Amino acid sequence: MVMMAKQPKQRSTMALIEGQDWNALLQRVGSHQDKDAFSALFAHFAPLLKGFLMKGSNLDPEQAEELVQETMIKVWRKAPSYSSAQAAASTWMYTIARNTRIDWLRKHAKISQQTDELIAEDLFDENEESSPFTSLIQTRNSKNIKDHLGDLPQEQLQVLTLMYFQGKSGQEVADELSIPLGTVKSRVRLALQKLKLKLSPNGESTEAYAQ
Amino acid sequence: MIKHHPSTALLTDYTVGSLSVAPAVSVTTHLKYCQQCRDSVGSLKQLGGALLCEAEPAQISSDLLTQTLDRLDADEGEMALAEGASEVHEFELSDELKGIPEYLNQFLPRNGLNWRKLSSSVTVAPISVGETRYELALHKICAGGQTPVHDHNGVEYTVVLKGSFSDEDGMYNEGDFLTREPGDVHRPFATQHEDCICLSVLEAPIRLKGLGRVLNPFMRFQPS
Repeated sequence: MVMMAKQPKQRSTMALIEGQDWNALLQRVGSHQDKDAFSALFAHFAPLLKGFLMKGSNLDPEQAEELVQETMIKVWRKAPSYSSAQAAASTWMYTIARNTRIDWLRKHAKISQQTDELIAEDLFDENEESSPFTSLIQTRNSKNIKDHLGDLPQEQLQVLTLMYFQGKSGQEVADELSIPLGTVKSRVRLALQKLKLKLSPNGESTEAYAQ
Repeated sequence: MIKHHPSTALLTDYTVGSLSVAPAVSVTTHLKYCQQCRDSVGSLKQLGGALLCEAEPAQISSDLLTQTLDRLDADEGEMALAEGASEVHEFELSDELKGIPEYLNQFLPRNGLNWRKLSSSVTVAPISVGETRYELALHKICAGGQTPVHDHNGVEYTVVLKGSFSDEDGMYNEGDFLTREPGDVHRPFATQHEDCICLSVLEAPIRLKGLGRVLNPFMRFQPS
């Protein structure tokens, strides 16, 4: 839009790309409709998204790419509302991919009637304001996840992967692995503990998991 | 002060997108009141982001980026046209519902809620979100009123939207989220001075096992 701004912007986009600073690049997409920044995000995240969506699912590669494209288009459209203070780019992308998959699966199921206009974004309605502690919690989480994700026992990682990658409920994972729901829940609980994820100390939550 | 929250297991199912609509609506409604649980869901989403980054990258068709960029250009024209046309879903809430989370407006029938009497002190207004596995409804218990003793064939989630009520186990205030498991028997009653309005999600009395999942999967359809 503003020609004069083009040179310095390009340089710093390059620097961000070299530095793989995804948060800043995503912010740049939102503030400048910067297609170089978008392309860099695409190059990094599209293969991850495709791998993520296809893992263990029934999607064929074409369907997965359709979803990747949908996701990235939403990323572009929604980028102006992205703030790196609220979430890491990866968290934000995950959320959009999840919503895109939910909507896509519903559309292809073609059995929902009146609520066709209900989309996952409205269902989750995530434009919440963050608390003063939000970014502190996130910084801590991010370090803990980085430090401990690699240490998770295979069985715990497997359960998390089935839930997150395929959008399966605890019960569905239990059915798939032919193990009791209680076992699934305890694996999730142990994994979350090991990752030291900051979860609210709900009175009932630990019991509900242990049942 | 909110004292009753969804379990971490439920928040995890919610975060990964495996809950069907009605339970998801009840969790989102609770989040509107509860910063703690918003942060918990934020943490669980962060884990999603981390797992996404750990995914094994899959080869992308060489022209997918170009195609995507082309669509963005085409979009820009459309978006400009659509600008200003966005419809605001606004309607007048009855006085008794004023103050409930705005989020719920999108689900309320536009021609008004259809309250029917369940007992002398309880009325119920169903909300349709297009699924049969769970029933979503608003319940109103008159001040001081008591619900009939009931037990549950399926799980029930309740979010207190206005007022408060008690049962044998405690007192529940605005924003509190309660889970009742099948077999729980309880008899809630509203506090004396005001009506209590709750959002409730009840698993359909007839449980469709196995087959139900195929007939009524809101979010879990696996295309073949």
